[in-house]
Parts: sequence; C-alpha cells; structure tokens
Amino acid sequence: MNASVSSSTSRRYVIIGNGVAGNQAAELLRDRDPDSRITILTNSRLLYYNRYLLPQLFKGEQSWQAFLANPAEHYVKRRIQVRRDSRVVSVDTRNKLIKLAHNETIGYDSLLVATGGVSHLPEELADCRKMFHSFGSYEAAMATRKALPEKGTVVLLGGDMIGLDLARTLLAVECRVILVTHESTFWPHKLTAEERADALATLEKMGIELIDGEARGGVVSVQQGASGLPARRVVFRQGGDLYGDVVMSFYGLTPLVEFMVGTGIDIERGLLVNTNLRTSDPSIYAAGDVCQIWSEQENIYRFYYGYQNVRAMGAVAAINMTGGHEHFATTQEETLGRDSQGFIDSPFWSYQ
Amino acid sequence: MRGEHESLTTLTSSQDPSGQGVIHYSDDPRDAGWVRQNIPCQTACPAGTNVPAYIRAIAEGRHGQAYEINREANVLPGVLGRICSRPCESACRHGWSGNGDPVGICHLKRSAADIKDASHRITERLYAPTGKKVAVVGAGPAGVAAAHDLSLLGHDVVIFEREERPGGMLRYGIPEFRLPRNMLDIELHNALRLGVQLRTGTAVGAGKGAVRVSTLLADFDAVLLATGCMAPTALPLRGIPDGENLSRHCQDVEYGLDFLMEIHRGQNKRVGRRVAVVGAGFTALDCARVARRLGGQEVTIHLRTSEEYIPVTSEELFETKREGIRIKGLRTPVGLRTDENGRLTGVEFVQNRLGGWRENGRRLATPIEGSEFVEPCDTLIIAIGQRTVNDFLDMRVEVNRSGNVRVAENGMTSVHGLFAAGDYVGGASTAIEAIGHARQIADKIDTWLVGRKRRQVVRMEPVAAPPREPAHDFIPRQHMPTIPLQDRQQLTREVECGYNRDLAGEEAKRCYLCDLRYQIDVNRCIYCRACIEVAPRNCIKLVSDVEMKADGTHGTLQETKEWQRVAAIWIDNNECIRCGACFKVCPVRCISITRNHFVTVDG
Repeated sequence: MNASVSSSTSRRYVIIGNGVAGNQAAELLRDRDPDSRITILTNSRLLYYNRYLLPQLFKGEQSWQAFLANPAEHYVKRRIQVRRDSRVVSVDTRNKLIKLAHNETIGYDSLLVATGGVSHLPEELADCRKMFHSFGSYEAAMATRKALPEKGTVVLLGGDMIGLDLARTLLAVECRVILVTHESTFWPHKLTAEERADALATLEKMGIELIDGEARGGVVSVQQGASGLPARRVVFRQGGDLYGDVVMSFYGLTPLVEFMVGTGIDIERGLLVNTNLRTSDPSIYAAGDVCQIWSEQENIYRFYYGYQNVRAMGAVAAINMTGGHEHFATTQEETLGRDSQGFIDSPFWSYQ
Repeated sequence: MRGEHESLTTLTSSQDPSGQGVIHYSDDPRDAGWVRQNIPCQTACPAGTNVPAYIRAIAEGRHGQAYEINREANVLPGVLGRICSRPCESACRHGWSGNGDPVGICHLKRSAADIKDASHRITERLYAPTGKKVAVVGAGPAGVAAAHDLSLLGHDVVIFEREERPGGMLRYGIPEFRLPRNMLDIELHNALRLGVQLRTGTAVGAGKGAVRVSTLLADFDAVLLATGCMAPTALPLRGIPDGENLSRHCQDVEYGLDFLMEIHRGQNKRVGRRVAVVGAGFTALDCARVARRLGGQEVTIHLRTSEEYIPVTSEELFETKREGIRIKGLRTPVGLRTDENGRLTGVEFVQNRLGGWRENGRRLATPIEGSEFVEPCDTLIIAIGQRTVNDFLDMRVEVNRSGNVRVAENGMTSVHGLFAAGDYVGGASTAIEAIGHARQIADKIDTWLVGRKRRQVVRMEPVAAPPREPAHDFIPRQHMPTIPLQDRQQLTREVECGYNRDLAGEEAKRCYLCDLRYQIDVNRCIYCRACIEVAPRNCIKLVSDVEMKADGTHGTLQETKEWQRVAAIWIDNNECIRCGACFKVCPVRCISITRNHFVTVDG
C-alpha cells in the first residue's frame, strides 16, 4: 500500500467478503474517496475469482489463475488492501473494531459486510456433514473434482439453481446426475406447482435422473458406501437408498452472519438493511446474499439474488458509505426460462 | 444455605489438612466482591452453584463429590443438568470474545448425576428439630427446593399438590424426551425423604373439597405459596373477545401449556398435518417437538422477532431444527382462518420489523401496517408465556401491577405468616431461578420462625501450583451425543445421551477454574517483567492506580508505561485465564494462588 494514503486523517473502509458485491464496492469507494484506506478481509486464500465459472473445473480447467477476476497488480494500483486467509470472528460495533481469528483487531470508520452465503445444509443432516462434497469455493470444488471418477455418479440433494448449473456441466462431461428433489429445487426461483412439474420434466429431458425426495420422506442420512459400491450412500427416511461417487447439497444459501451475532445489529436470517443497504448501525452496510432488504412493495425483508443484484448492491453500498443517498432497486430477471433447445435457463446463471 | 456450612468457631484461620498452607475465612467485602466479579458462572447462577468446584471434582474423576457440590445449591442436579436454561454458560469466561466456546457446564452437571456410583451416599447437614410446622403449596421446583431446605432446618413440612404426582412444570410441562421421569422421581424422592409429607391430589383453593389457605394459616406456623405460573398468557386475536377460550372458538387451537399438561396427565392428543406454534421459549420448542412426534408433518415455529433474540439454548434450537421443525421470524399472529365447519385452515400474521429493546433485554417487534399474510395450518399451538393465578386465595393478598403477589424483604406477603416463592412471585422464569428464589425464601422463613440468621463468608484456600495445563485451552467444547433422528418418534425416548466418563473428563479440563485467585505480592516483586513476557494475553499490567468500588470489585486499571509511575504490577482478572504461566516463571515466587468460594455460616 502507498504510505502516503495511510495518514490517520483518511477514512478507513473495511469490506468483509471478497465476492462480487465486495469488489464492486471497493472499486467505487476508491473512485469516490481517493484518499481513503480500503481493506478487504476474506477467508479465502485466493484473490477475487469468478465463482460462476467454477463448473468449468469439471471440464478440465484447473488453474486457479484462470478464475481470477483481476490480477494482483490491480489491487496494488487501486490501493485496495486484500487481507486473505483472514477470518473475522466478531465485530465490536461500539469501538468500531473487527476481530480476526488470529486475535488481530482492525479498526474501521465504515464497514461493509458482503460475506455472501454458504450452501445450506438442513440441520437433520448436520451429522453427515463430512460425507458431503462441497462446491462453495475453488478449493472445495477442486477437491470434489478429484473425488469424482470419470463418468462417475453425482447425487445432488435439493437442487437449487447453483446445483443445476453444475448439473449441466456434469452432463456435458458424461457424468450420471441424480437429483433428489426437495422444496428447494429450483431455488431461488419461486414456481407454481404446474411450473415446477414442467421444469422437472425438462430436467429429465436434459438427462438428469429424478428421485422424488419428498415422497420418500426426505434424506435422513448420507453414509460411507459399502466396499465395492460407490463411495457414498444416501438413505431416505421412509426406506430405500441410492449410491453415488459424490453427494452434494444444494438446498439454497445460508447467509454468513455468525460473526455479527451479538453485535446488536438487526438480524433475521441475514443482516436486515433498508434500501440504502444500511444496517441498524449507521456505520455498517451490507450487500449481496448476506442481507435482507426491506421491500416497500412486498412489506417484507427479502433476499435478492443474482449477479446483477449483487453487483448493484455493492455499488449502492459504496455510494452511500461515501455520503450518497442511493436506493437499491432490483433489475434482475427472476423468471425461469428455456433455452433454444427447450432446456431450462436461469437468469441466476448469468454473470454479465 | 448455599455452599458449605461452617460453624462460627471455624471462622478463624485453620491449617489446611493437605499441608499446603493456612485456610482463611474472610468477611471483608473486597473478598466477597472478588468472588462475585471473578467467578461469573457462579454469580450468574440464580442458585449460586459452585461451578468451578464441581467441575474440578469431575476432572479428578470424583463424580459423586461433584454431585454433592451441586446439591448444596440445587437439590435436582440430574434434572437441571438436562433442562437448565444455563445462565452460567452465557457468563462463562471461556465464552468471552477470543476465548472460544463456553464450558459445557450443564452437560457436566448432568454427567455428575449420571456417572456417580449407583450406591452414592448423599450428604445432608441437619439442624435439630424446631417443632415448627410449615405448609408448602405446590410441589414444583420452587416448592420442593423450599421444602427440602426447611426440613433440613428442622421444621416439619407438608407439601400440598393438586396434581397426582409431584414435580409441577418439570413433570407436566417438559416432555420426557428432554427429562426422563425416572431421574425426576429419584431426585424428588431424595429431596423430600427427610420427613417432608407430600399430599398429592390435594388442591388448595376456595373451591369445593379444596383446602383453604386460611385453614393452612391456622394449622401451620408458616405457609409458603409456590404455585408457579400455571395459566397461559392469552393471545389477542381479531374477532375473538378478550378472555374467550380459544379452544372453544376453534377446536384446532390450544395453548401450549394445556397441550403439554394434558399429554403428561396421560391424555391422548392429536395434531394436524401442518402445525403452527407461536412462541419463542422452551415451551414453544417443546410443543413443536411433541407435535412432530405426534405426526405433524410440517411443524413451524413462528417468532415475533428472530432466532438470535429468543431465550433458548442454541443446542435446543439446533435439535429442534434437526427434527425438521422450521422457524420463521418477524411475524405476529393477528387472526384465525377457518372453514365452513369451523376447522382451522390458517393463521393470519402481520409482518414485523425489529424494534428497540425491552427492559428485560429482549427485542421488541413492531408490526407493519398493511402487511398481513396467511400461513395455512391445521393446528395452532400458542405458547407465548404463562402467568400466575390468584383465584385460589380465600383472602385478600396485595399484588403488584403485573398481578403477581407482592412480598416484603423477609419474603412474607401482606398476610402475616404467608410467604411466597418462585414464579408465583416473579412471574414465569426458569427452573433454576425458581429453585434459587425458593431457597432464599426458605432461609427467610427460618429466620422469621426461630430467629436464626446465616451469612456468607469467603473461604480462601492456598493452592500449591496451577492445576491446569496450558494444553487444556485448546480442547474444543465436547459435543453432546444424541440419538439418531429415526429413533425420535416416541415421546419418551430421551434425545440427549449424556457425556460418558471420557467426554466429561475432557470437557471438565476446559474450565478455567475462575475460583483461583492469582495475586502478586508487590513487596516481593522485583519487577523483572518475566510474568508479563510469558503471559498469553494482556493480563498482567503495570498500573499507577486501581479503582476500588464500594462492593469490593475493582473498576478501571490506570495502566502506565513509565516506571516512575508504576505503583503495582497487577493481574487483570478480566483477562486472566488461570493458565499459571506467570506463577511458573516468577523467580522470586511472589505470585500466590488461592482457591476462593463462599461458605455459609451461622450467625
């Protein structure tokens, strides 16, 4: 970082989270407050990379550099400090201090929480957590890729749109894909019963094998496969099982807010924010999948997913953190569509 | 009656039988203040349980001793080890920022009860008979705790209980899958077997066949009301007049308290496929979990605020969710939807925003006008709280604005000889609060009856060397084993399995033993800073001044880095994790360790 900008009078912005919202905010903060200090804190060991491209790992692309959105020099040039492998454990809102897992504390003048969400695992499956293969990060996706034999069998539980995006790639590389349906299938799309039935039929047409999870009482456990059989066994509550080389959970996202619990900031499932993306603490903002935004139209706090929404939130937060008064309004298409082949196509898969 | 009982004659210094030094007894408020400030678990426990002492006993494999230490403060350790609301764990130093997770104090309490020898010998310290008779109304946790203490104090005690069996809310309000009845029966029996007469199926009240309070006052030297909060708090709903029985309005709606009590009285209960539970406490969670076991397919708990702000333990919340129960926040029920046959089809809610904070530390929820929506359901269970009832009294007793009976400093109501304890005084709380309050009132009744007084002093016992290993700081909290989900279909099968000996030993090692007091003798200190250099935290400080408060606790430390201003080298007990590193490194042995706890003495 350029020492000249580290003066004690410059404003310090800290962004927790290194995804679309956090990076968009960092860029705008730099533009709008050239003398400020900007720090991004992230659990990841990698710089900001495009998570939408992660399915490509299963097509052979395995270099982490290929996924990076910006080279490291970009952050140097923009004077944005990225603290990787830095897990936030708590935020002291009274003293404006962020505590990291290694006991370091970092001060802030204005904080943006843009930690996104993690793949939700229903509590009834919590004991089987180690049996699941993950897709939430480059490292996790690589580990899953290594565990999957060529043309192997992948069992997707739930089947949200993140999982179905991966399913398209897995089918393309001739894997067998079994989807155990759940109410979260097609999440975050909200479908009528008729639309859902139609979409499920389309999935079958695409080559995905469907198991009616609800009719079987749901999945009750995921276990190690027996000798000579695939590595994982999925057991249903009302009897029966199925095997796969890899079992992945796609039950939607859980906002990553643990480190904010106990701060006094309003939380329901995510951080509750107004349309300015300000939390109940005026110096703390939230953007992306971690926040629930008040909707005047619907009279509820709701999540807004998708690249366009998340990017727009990063921008709105940055504008308001630097004295603006911008309101977030969604422009994201939310209807589940069909592509030219008649297969399902989701606006949530787009990252343009 | 908390802690050990010592006679006044031992209130001088005495030689420690272990030969480690002299045990001191202190009534200096500074020492009492130190204990209150530095043993946060014990201070947070409404019954004042000596937590570090019993955890140390478990770490040493003395589970029977641990059980006895518990029992000095709480006569139902095996019960509370299963269902306590755990205010101690919220206060535990191990859970403070940067220290990890709190110690599993409650699970350890249970382990003492589970693992102690079957032939374990219970210790009771009996006073001589006084010839005084005390009637206790209600055999719930408060009534039983008070009766036990009053009988130890030499009084003849009779409990009057309207239900067929003792235990109150413990038996009739908590499902067996959380509290097995054999454990409850054993501990109730132990609490009452010192001569307490238990008259179950005997209602006290103004009705026909009931024993009148005025009769009890005439027949006994003192009467203690411990009837708890046995009426549900009413939920105001659109179109339903205040006071109208909701179950009569719609058969698919009932109050959680009634739901649980009827089940535990042996009635067969049914729920629909979709069950909505309204409420945020343990009763709401219990109702939801019972409904799931009764066949509810979609069971949802609806909260006014959100999960973060509900007064239940995170483990209980987790197990509830594991059983497939959903939790939805920021909504208040405002009306019912029924079909042409009067059967419930849904509940109308209004969306809430989080509001400010209530005086009791709970969050407020603010309804948003025009945000009504309907959640379909077949059964509605309302568990939003409980309240006291006073209609059993056949005399006028002063009550406060909440309708709870008012008691004086000596525990007596406005009626001479009539005392009250537990939830009946303070409103709905927890079992440990009821027990803690009842024991205080029992002590006051004894004082009123025979003029005896007891007080607390601090026992300070020298400790030769730090008993903890630094490696203990890295032991993670031990997970409570539970039965598989597929085995959770019966109402009576206990879900939590309890720690085995190994798990209990590991968890016990995590305790910082906050009762250990490390002190630097500034007259012997050579200010070499060796202790500061080995300290794992910023716990040893050079200070120019220390603010001492009237209650004996200390306030702000005035730290200094200028040698000429250093008045002392001070161990900051807010930071100290009792690792003992300073003690081990000190070249002149100017750091001492004492074990400090309250003991109760006569006089």
